[in-house]
Amino acid sequence: MSRRLVWFLLLIVAALALAIVLVPALVIQPFRPQSPRGLEISFFLKRLAPIFTVVTLIACLALVIKLWRGARWSRIALILLMVPAMLSAWFARQNHFEWMFNPLANAGYVSANAATFVADSDLVMAVARNGEATAYPIRQLAYHHLVQDTVGGVPIVVTY
Amino acid sequence: MWEATIDGRTLHFHLAGINNQNFIMRDEETGSWWQQVSGEAILGPLKGRKLTRVPMDEISFALWKRELARGRVLRPDPRFAKLYAKADWEAGIAKLPVATRISDKRLDLRELVVGIVANGHAKAYRMIDVQQQKPIIDTVGGVPIVIVADGQSVRAFSRTVDSKPVDLFARPDTASITLVDSATGSEWDFAGRAIRGSRAGRQLQRIEVQRDYWFDWRAYHPDTAIFNVGLMKRAS
Repeated sequence: MSRRLVWFLLLIVAALALAIVLVPALVIQPFRPQSPRGLEISFFLKRLAPIFTVVTLIACLALVIKLWRGARWSRIALILLMVPAMLSAWFARQNHFEWMFNPLANAGYVSANAATFVADSDLVMAVARNGEATAYPIRQLAYHHLVQDTVGGVPIVVTY
Repeated sequence: MWEATIDGRTLHFHLAGINNQNFIMRDEETGSWWQQVSGEAILGPLKGRKLTRVPMDEISFALWKRELARGRVLRPDPRFAKLYAKADWEAGIAKLPVATRISDKRLDLRELVVGIVANGHAKAYRMIDVQQQKPIIDTVGGVPIVIVADGQSVRAFSRTVDSKPVDLFARPDTASITLVDSATGSEWDFAGRAIRGSRAGRQLQRIEVQRDYWFDWRAYHPDTAIFNVGLMKRAS
C-alpha cells in the first residue's frame, strides 16, 4: 500500500469518526425542527457510535503507526488527526443533553408545611395513588425534566 | 406523567434529545426512545408501545395544600439548587423561538392552551379565555364538559348528572370558585363535588386537561378544534 493511500485512509477514518457523533448532535438541536427520518438516522448512529468510535480510534492509531517514519511536519499532522478520533470516542460516551439538565433518580420529600421553598402561587404537578399524594413543584421539574419515583407503590416517571 | 412499568419491567429514563421542542427520553433497559408528551416509543425495540398515563393535576401549591391535609412535596436537590427555575421563568420561555414544521397560525405558536380529548376528539382552549370565562360550558366529542379556572389552576369535568347534561354558572359573590347548576341550584366546588343543595355529595367525573403551547398541542393533535368564545369579547 502506498503511503499516499494510507494517508487518504487515515483522513477518511478520522472524518467518519467525527461524522458519527456530529450528525446526531446537529440533527437534534433544540431550536431546529426535526423530521422523523432525521431522528431515525440519529437513533441508528447514536446506537452505533460507542463501538464504532473505538474501532475508528484503533484504526487511526494503526494507520498513524504505519506512517510514523516520516518528516517531522508529518508527525505533527498525524498527532492532530488522532484528536478527532479521540474526541469522538469520548463524546460517544457522553449524554450532552444531561450536561445542562439532570434527571432526578432518587426523589426526597418534605411535608407540605415544611415546603417553604414553594410559593403559594407556584404551580405543582399533583398525583395521588393508593392514598399517597405527592406534589412536584414545576420550578424544580423545569430543571430536572425527569423525576423517577414511586407513588402509592406505583413506579412512575414525572415528565415536564 | 407516566407509569414507568411495561410488561412487568420498570424502566429508568434519561434525556435523549428533542423532537420539535418536545423532549425525547431513552430507557436504560432497552435503549428505546420515547416521546415525552405522548408516552409513545418512537424508535428502538419498544417502538409503537405506549406508557400508561398517570392521572394528575397541574394546580397552584396553595390549592393543593387546601385540598389535601397530608401530602409530601418533592425536596429540592441541593446539588442543583442554583439551577432551578426562577419565579418568573415562564416569561423567559415565552420569548424563546419556536422551531417546528407546524404552520397552523390559527393561534400564536407559543400561545398557552388547555387541551382536552374526549371520545377521540381533541379541542384546544386559549388559557386567556379559560381564565376569563369561568366556567366554560362546551361539548367535546359528544361529551358535555365544563372547564373551570382558579387562577393558574385549571380543571375539567364531564357535566352529565343522572344521564343529563347540566348547565353550570359561577356564583359571583364567593372568594373561591363555586358553581351552581341551573336545574337544582346545588353548589359545586373546584374539586367537582356538590357541597350544598339537593345534589350535595355528588361528584362530577374528572377529565384530564393538558397545559401546552399551541404548536406542541397541534403537533400531537393535528385534527384539533379550537374553542371559540363566540359573542363574548375576547381578551387580547
